[in-house]
Amino acid sequence: MDNLEHRLVRCFSSVFPSLNEDQIRNASVDSVPDWHSLASVTLISVVQEEFGVQVGLADLPNLVSFSAVQNYVQHHVAT
Amino acid sequence: MNASKQRSRAVFAECVCDSPSDPVDLGLQVISALARAFYKDPLVDDFPACGSFSRSLMKLIDALAVARRPVAENASVLKVFLACGFTPLHLETFLAAALSDRSPLERAEIDTGLFGDLAGNIERIESGECDVLVVLIEWQDLDPRLGTRSLGGWDVDDLPDIVNSTERMMARLEKAIVGVPGSIPTYISLPTLPLPPLFTTSSQQASSYELQLRLCINRLAAALARHSRIRIISTQSLDEMSPLAGRFDIQSELSAGFPYQLAHASTIAELLAALIRGSGSKKGLITDLDDTLWSGILGENGVEGISWHLDQHTHIHGLYQQFLASLASAGVLTAVASKNDPALVKQAFEREDLLVSNKSLYPIDAHWGPKSESVRRIVKTWNIAADAVIFIDDSPMELAEVKAAFPEMECLLFPKSDPPAFWQLLRRLRDLFGKSIVSEEDSIRLQSIRSAASLPDSSNGDSTSLDTFLREARASVVFIIGKQKDDRRAFELINKTNQFNLNGKRLNETSWTNYLNDPSSFLMTVSYEDKYGPLGKIAVLLGHRQGAVATINYWVMSCRAFSRRIEQQSLRWLFEEFRLQEIHFDYQQTERNQPIYDFLCSIGGAPRAGEASISMASFFEKCPPLFHQIKATVNG
Repeated sequence: MDNLEHRLVRCFSSVFPSLNEDQIRNASVDSVPDWHSLASVTLISVVQEEFGVQVGLADLPNLVSFSAVQNYVQHHVAT
Repeated sequence: MNASKQRSRAVFAECVCDSPSDPVDLGLQVISALARAFYKDPLVDDFPACGSFSRSLMKLIDALAVARRPVAENASVLKVFLACGFTPLHLETFLAAALSDRSPLERAEIDTGLFGDLAGNIERIESGECDVLVVLIEWQDLDPRLGTRSLGGWDVDDLPDIVNSTERMMARLEKAIVGVPGSIPTYISLPTLPLPPLFTTSSQQASSYELQLRLCINRLAAALARHSRIRIISTQSLDEMSPLAGRFDIQSELSAGFPYQLAHASTIAELLAALIRGSGSKKGLITDLDDTLWSGILGENGVEGISWHLDQHTHIHGLYQQFLASLASAGVLTAVASKNDPALVKQAFEREDLLVSNKSLYPIDAHWGPKSESVRRIVKTWNIAADAVIFIDDSPMELAEVKAAFPEMECLLFPKSDPPAFWQLLRRLRDLFGKSIVSEEDSIRLQSIRSAASLPDSSNGDSTSLDTFLREARASVVFIIGKQKDDRRAFELINKTNQFNLNGKRLNETSWTNYLNDPSSFLMTVSYEDKYGPLGKIAVLLGHRQGAVATINYWVMSCRAFSRRIEQQSLRWLFEEFRLQEIHFDYQQTERNQPIYDFLCSIGGAPRAGEASISMASFFEKCPPLFHQIKATVNG
């Protein structure tokens, strides 16, 4: 697991403490019952703070799974 | 051997291993190493760049973890009502975490109200609903047009109406906050966000409407701060810790109704937690003289050669004197520990331009022995614990020597050649000795300690001289029995007294109220005065009475009141007033409550297996002669 993924798992774990690492990597709005709107806001805030990125309003609806968030962060941290 | 001694020995052993042959060099090396081992430069290590607040801010990811940290099942609960007009979201998390961080054995339960209805959220609070009320006011709570989520119009014609409606809302908020039932401690954050660009002036110019709005909020804050249960977050502290430009998160406000940047929310939560669960303030300050209270060495420069004035570039010492006088006037004990000729020190204190009087400094302990000896005598005279005392000196070596003798004492360097560091020192001291209210007891504390110095030492077993002294003291004791829930002094005594304390248990607002709501409970307060002056309200007992038996659950007495047999008089009065046959004590040993253990033993109530009780017959058999005049009021 690379450093970015490790940090992202930690972010998810802080918002969804009941999930283990495997569940986090496969997590999505559909598979995690606790992933409601409030959790989304909290998760994005934690990710923004951790990686120093600003998620645009238009991007928010797309960040509905671990892999989507991971891709977003990889793209924006790299650029 | 305690840790401090072990550390000293280790340092000494290191020095001896590499020791120079010259014993003077060895001595200097040992002292220097001890200084390095024990002395931590507070101006470098303890003072944050942002000002006087020394805790680092939490990130949201850490706050989530801390807020979810499990606490013991029997942990006490602190019910907080967070009243705000926006979605509290991360602020709630940060506040729960900050409170948990400060009180790990307490669980904070945070309740919130309805979105967009700050005043209504406060007006709906019922008695007993919470232990603590936190009110966060933002501009949009005063008029929605001062926020970004409503589109009510920013025309020039709207501005007077915005000011008027703000004034009306201020009046409603003041009434709601003051009218909160049950004396709930209330903590208020005034608007922290920048006003939106609705005024016609450029951003460089303050609009008259903006100034009127700020005047309104300052009037409200000043009116609320007059109430002892209400505390306002310092805007100056907040400004230093959270720059204005980094506070507002418009995207979060528009998407989630949460207007704060995370760092700003974390800062507000930290300040609130510091106010709600701040550590107890220190009680005494011991200062050095040469190059500290004044500039110069008294023994070398003479009485006229020492200075503290602008024209001699020694003004920081004048500011320091002025600050000490301020602390003393607020009831902080201040004393002097100096290596000096006592006669010369006495002369120096006769200089009329000194800004702190020798009447405010007591004791003034000047001699050529180690400073730790002075500190020991002063702490004994004050009869307070060493960890409640700050020692200030310009010499790291003296600080190290005192620190080695009193590891629990905070020792701070006086930075005589560094005005910015000196300024930070004053701010640090204000935080360490901060108090919301200066009480009557604060104003008479030093006087009562001076009079206590004339008490004979009963510890040497000479009860005859104590009898004589007490008989001639013309003492009167006032007992008040009742259920005075708003007695802040009684509440404060329960929560800060350590030595004469039955069990070390503390009470929060809710448990205090609940205790007194019990029909069988009683609150007894004790005030004392003698020919040397009043001590004020110095003792509190909380207990239950059932027939001829009383159980005392809380009993504290200020250390200033020791050796006057007030504790014996309190029990005698209880036995007689309520015709008691027996009194049980909910005694528990603590690290510091030896004085109450000794007292219980002296009257035949030695605690056994955590229980203590005394019969009327046994008490009167062992009670020494009492000479007080009694005044009593029994309410219910």
